[in-house]
Amino acid sequence: MYGWNGRILRVNLSTGKVSVEEVDPKVAKDFIGGRGWGIRYLYDEVDPRVDPLSPENKLIFAAGLLTATPVPTGNRYMVVTKSPLTGALTASNSGGFFPTEMKRTGFDLFIFEGRAERPVYLWVHDDHVEIRPADHIWGKMVFETEDIIRAETDPRARIACIGPAGERLAPVAAILNDKHRAAARSGVGAVMGSKNLKAVAVRGTRRVPLAHPRELKDLADQVVEEVKQAVAAGKSTLRTYGTAYVPPVTNEVGILPTYNFRTGVFAGAEAISGKVLSEKYLIRPKACYGCPIACGRLTRVDDPVFGGEGEGPEYETIGSFGSACGVDNLAAIAKANYLCNELGLDTISTGVTIACAMEMYELGLIPESDIGRPLRFGDAQAVVEMVRLAGMREGFGDLIAQGSYRLASHYGHPEFSMSAKKQEFPAYDPRGAQGMGLLYATSNIGASHMRGDIAYMEVFGVPKKLDPLSVDDKPRMVKYFEDIFAIVDSAGLCVFLAIRYLFEPTYNVEPVRITRLMEYATGAGYDEETLLRAGDRVYTLERMFLVRAGFSRADDTLPPRMLREPMPDGPAKGRVVELDRMLPEFYRLRGWDENGVPTREKLAELGLL
Amino acid sequence: MRIWIKLLATYQKYLPPDCSSSAYEMEVPPDARVEDILAQLPVPLDESVVLVNGRTPQPGQTLQEGDVLCLFPAVAGG
Ligand code: SF4
Repeated sequence: MYGWNGRILRVNLSTGKVSVEEVDPKVAKDFIGGRGWGIRYLYDEVDPRVDPLSPENKLIFAAGLLTATPVPTGNRYMVVTKSPLTGALTASNSGGFFPTEMKRTGFDLFIFEGRAERPVYLWVHDDHVEIRPADHIWGKMVFETEDIIRAETDPRARIACIGPAGERLAPVAAILNDKHRAAARSGVGAVMGSKNLKAVAVRGTRRVPLAHPRELKDLADQVVEEVKQAVAAGKSTLRTYGTAYVPPVTNEVGILPTYNFRTGVFAGAEAISGKVLSEKYLIRPKACYGCPIACGRLTRVDDPVFGGEGEGPEYETIGSFGSACGVDNLAAIAKANYLCNELGLDTISTGVTIACAMEMYELGLIPESDIGRPLRFGDAQAVVEMVRLAGMREGFGDLIAQGSYRLASHYGHPEFSMSAKKQEFPAYDPRGAQGMGLLYATSNIGASHMRGDIAYMEVFGVPKKLDPLSVDDKPRMVKYFEDIFAIVDSAGLCVFLAIRYLFEPTYNVEPVRITRLMEYATGAGYDEETLLRAGDRVYTLERMFLVRAGFSRADDTLPPRMLREPMPDGPAKGRVVELDRMLPEFYRLRGWDENGVPTREKLAELGLL
Repeated sequence: MRIWIKLLATYQKYLPPDCSSSAYEMEVPPDARVEDILAQLPVPLDESVVLVNGRTPQPGQTLQEGDVLCLFPAVAGG
């Protein structure tokens, strides 16, 4: 096999047995790699009705097809499992350096089964695989965990691990790698914690075999050159400001989530922007492996209360801990971000859950005695304190750690949870971006921008600008973006680079270069049509997992605020998400019936029967 | 009449030197069309997102007193 290693490492944590399996070439091609492979194995091996935190659930680390190749941003992996936050499956994405190193061990997938009796970590150095005791690291924060394991293994080992939040099975717990990068969403950290698996350390020295290395290298070099020219011309917004450039943009469009998504305009938008981050806190931009963009921010905050150093914050984190909580203090947002990385928490779900608690507190729906302090919008210190408590599941933090849906339901008002399928919204109020509304409602993993970020077109004009307030053509575009994001995730590339440089910059966004790269890597016979069908196949198989887990059309919905409370001000004033106008057409285009269930014909077309 | 020109992200480098916020005022003829004003601005239009009062302008749309014409580079975001 070329492009893929074609090998899976299976680790049974209950028995300590480790085995190596080959991958069927047809499965390899049909499901691309990364997310697609992960979904295929999860679907085949895990009963969709299992308790996500039971030994019967499996945890899959999946490096992408182009991960560890010369293709720029080939640095990503997906964590695939059944989610304790949503009860659906999830595939949570992260970059950094761990995924490349993982693929260089000679395996594409690690599949973890069962549950270790005592805390352990896995050490993989090429073919050397060892399950080691981790009692001495259990309870430690993420950074210290990494340092200890690196000292015990190899100075060049790359590490993914959980913090206290994952150990305590928090449904909003993340898996951190390279200290600051997170497979953050859907509680993947809790699944890892439930298996008593504290960390995975990898050191790989193998090169990924390529079918047409010269052609691949030439095209990869060309893309790198294009990005470098944009950077040199001062045109790379992501290099200059990171994703933190976004708050003033989404504020201008009127979709910057503010006060738990009551409104989409925030008076403090400029104060929490990339400009301020660069001027006050930036040490330097930081890149994942093989990335010419470097959107990451290495930052330091010198402040008696909010001081710290680390990576971030990114836009999503600024939206959740900032505007959604009514906080215009960027130092506090950075601090909340650093703490999430240390504790192993998802910044989006944690921030939006705190915002939910703030709204309910202000409405008198949560008594102050439960929280132990006032919790008003705009209280930056309270936000930071809640993050700490959530990570340790102490006091009121125990409820925050369970996400907004469980928290709001605990007090009898689930409608204050800004979530879809119980997963918190990213930082775009969908009332002002209709396609995002459809995406959140239908996403197989719950609300997520990473499932098919149509905001690229609705807000950011990449590759072409769509009117965010219009529903015209949105079902088709959302479906298409879901499919191409499935391709990018399965390829193990970063969407920031891929959508802009590897797809045609036209309204149709054809997968031209990415197809060529995959073909050069594998020689497996990919063309645009087979690739797009593979994206559709991945998405549809995910849906089948949900169907078997008991999800239906009733779950493809949004909170009442989004469907019935018109946006109170800003450019999207008066708008709600017109889900009913988009959903039937979306189902039809996906080949799903009126209940959101893939039809037999569709399954046959995709070879999934 | 007067309108506001607002420049975000890396386009802030095109703001007048004395401008301390993201926007500056501009005198334009009554009923000026969006396209006409854009042609006078120093930004690379084919790589830009253009908004009028936060919304997507229609082709041929004219501007009103106090409108905010906002531009930022087309980049994928968060
Ligand atoms: S664009 Fe940012 S997130 Fe993507 S690979 Fe580069 S540094 Fe990592």
